[in-house]
Amino acid sequence: MLRFVVRRLLLLIPILLGLSVLVFVWIRALPGGPAEALLGERATPESIRQIEDQYGLNKPVYVQYWSYVSTVARGDLGTSVTTRRPVAEEIEQRFPATVELTIAAMIFAVSLGVPLGFIAAKKYGGPADHASLVVTLLGISMPIFFLAILLKYVFAVRLGLLPTVGRIDPLIDISHPTNFYTIDALLNGNLNAFWDVTKHLILPAIALGSIPLAIIARITRASVLDVQNEDYVRTARAKGLSPRVVDQRHIFRNALLPIVTIVGLQAGLLLSGAVLTETVFAFPGMGTWLVTAIKGRDFPVLQGGILFVSLIFVLINLLVDVAYAFINPRIRVS
Amino acid sequence: MSVAEAEARTIQLEAPSGLWHEAWRRLRRNPGAIVGFVLVATFLIVALFAPLIATHDPREQNLALLGGSCCPGPSADHFFGVDALGRDLFSRVVYGARFSLLIGVVSVIVGLTFGIMIGATAGFFGGWIDSVLMRFMDIMLAIPGLLLAIGIVAVLGPGIFQIMIAVGVTQIPVFARLLRGSILGVRESDYVLAARSVGVPGRAILGAHILPNAMSPVIVQGTLALATAIIDVAALGFLGLGPQDPSTPEWGTMLTDTTRYLQTAPFLALIPGAAIVISVLGFNLIGDGLREALDPRFRGRG
Repeated sequence: MLRFVVRRLLLLIPILLGLSVLVFVWIRALPGGPAEALLGERATPESIRQIEDQYGLNKPVYVQYWSYVSTVARGDLGTSVTTRRPVAEEIEQRFPATVELTIAAMIFAVSLGVPLGFIAAKKYGGPADHASLVVTLLGISMPIFFLAILLKYVFAVRLGLLPTVGRIDPLIDISHPTNFYTIDALLNGNLNAFWDVTKHLILPAIALGSIPLAIIARITRASVLDVQNEDYVRTARAKGLSPRVVDQRHIFRNALLPIVTIVGLQAGLLLSGAVLTETVFAFPGMGTWLVTAIKGRDFPVLQGGILFVSLIFVLINLLVDVAYAFINPRIRVS
Repeated sequence: MSVAEAEARTIQLEAPSGLWHEAWRRLRRNPGAIVGFVLVATFLIVALFAPLIATHDPREQNLALLGGSCCPGPSADHFFGVDALGRDLFSRVVYGARFSLLIGVVSVIVGLTFGIMIGATAGFFGGWIDSVLMRFMDIMLAIPGLLLAIGIVAVLGPGIFQIMIAVGVTQIPVFARLLRGSILGVRESDYVLAARSVGVPGRAILGAHILPNAMSPVIVQGTLALATAIIDVAALGFLGLGPQDPSTPEWGTMLTDTTRYLQTAPFLALIPGAAIVISVLGFNLIGDGLREALDPRFRGRG
């Protein structure tokens, strides 16, 4: 197991190096060159020269790359052109919002997707199976931002049930030690605030969770169908175990493997989806921030943000692999 | 001609046509795939004959229609109503099919071409070429798709051509990995060994056995990628990175400002959105049908 983790960590090195090279090349490919991109519209010949000195842009490329990597490694992701705030500081506030939203979406997707897929497989070919096929197909065919608009229309405009903008009612005043607003509300002992934050999470979480829900339901169905015909399931039935016990102990537990993998893989995709969901619901996470950055041509934010998100993405994939190896002994050996 | 050679000739001649013939037969019996074909055919007809179907110029603004409020709903003259600038929504949705189709197809061709080149090179040559290419694909996959596309648009600038490239590039690693994995799997399979043992020449094995069988997941993925491409393109348009000329009737771009009018004119968002869902659904249904039709595990069952 340890050897597997170490090998997997070593594989991370070329990917991280490649990623840094890619972002390094990217910032140099931007229109107007890196100094102008970093300064935005305020670029003057003097300030450009100053930036070039500061970042060593007049030095040889390998020196530039080295200084770029070492600045990033120190946690300095630059300063936003528009807000003049350090990118790292902004990430500290916005990343928890996106994580909170992603976790809420995942809870929604798993708690509905797994039972849906399981029932569909148990009632293979029946109405429940067909219904789940339609739901999953619609789930993957529906653009997240359109579903978000639909939800907003039905639950907010028509029914007036749920809030559609932001993370919390601006009139509620609580301190934010963690920036995870659900946790913050609980730390403040303010149940009212907790309920308000949860209400703000519901619609974005459903919109963001719809695609993972469809995919998880599909994989669960396929996985249960596969396992159902295994010899050990027949043996378990033959020795007279009740269908319930067979379902729980033999089918579900073994069907869980591919489900765990797919759940992990979805976590990464959710980071993409969050950009769109947050935009529709004006949710102040990484997504809205990056979109504002593109529109304002705020390249330090884009550079730092994309690098950070990709890093998280790579780490999640690593965790999924390790978790998978932990559950499935066969992977560890090979 | 020896018996083995004759056998080999038959295998060589029949294998590919048999696979596709049977796939087509199975596809025709799949109700989902039929619905998919109907949806996609409608989408294609609307896209190709947009000038004949549209009732108005999709870019023409007629502010007089608005009468101070946004926006007049469906009527006999404007089937889907008019948008906030007094443009006919029906004609915009019809012309939008052209852009979605064009951008979707071109970006998938970009992804497919480079993906196949990279995947086939990696799969055929193996060794360090394989390692280098696949590590590079891993790096590209390390950046979430939409963010990669956004990054590319940031370099190239917004616009239709730029989105095609951006969306196409994000699909390269998927195709490359798929074809490589598929080639590796097929190369070692029993029927390739069998073909080899009856004396089929190497090039024929490659052409008749490895590639057709290795390509089927790529073709399935290509169909599904069209669905993804249409969604991604619409997403970039929705985020305001689409065509620079805001009067261009692109479905995603059309959705951008509609949340403002949800109260008074929800159809402005619902109709273009429904158009996206319908076309995407069509390609997904065909893709799923193809997958089942080409999957050997399902073969002979239907």
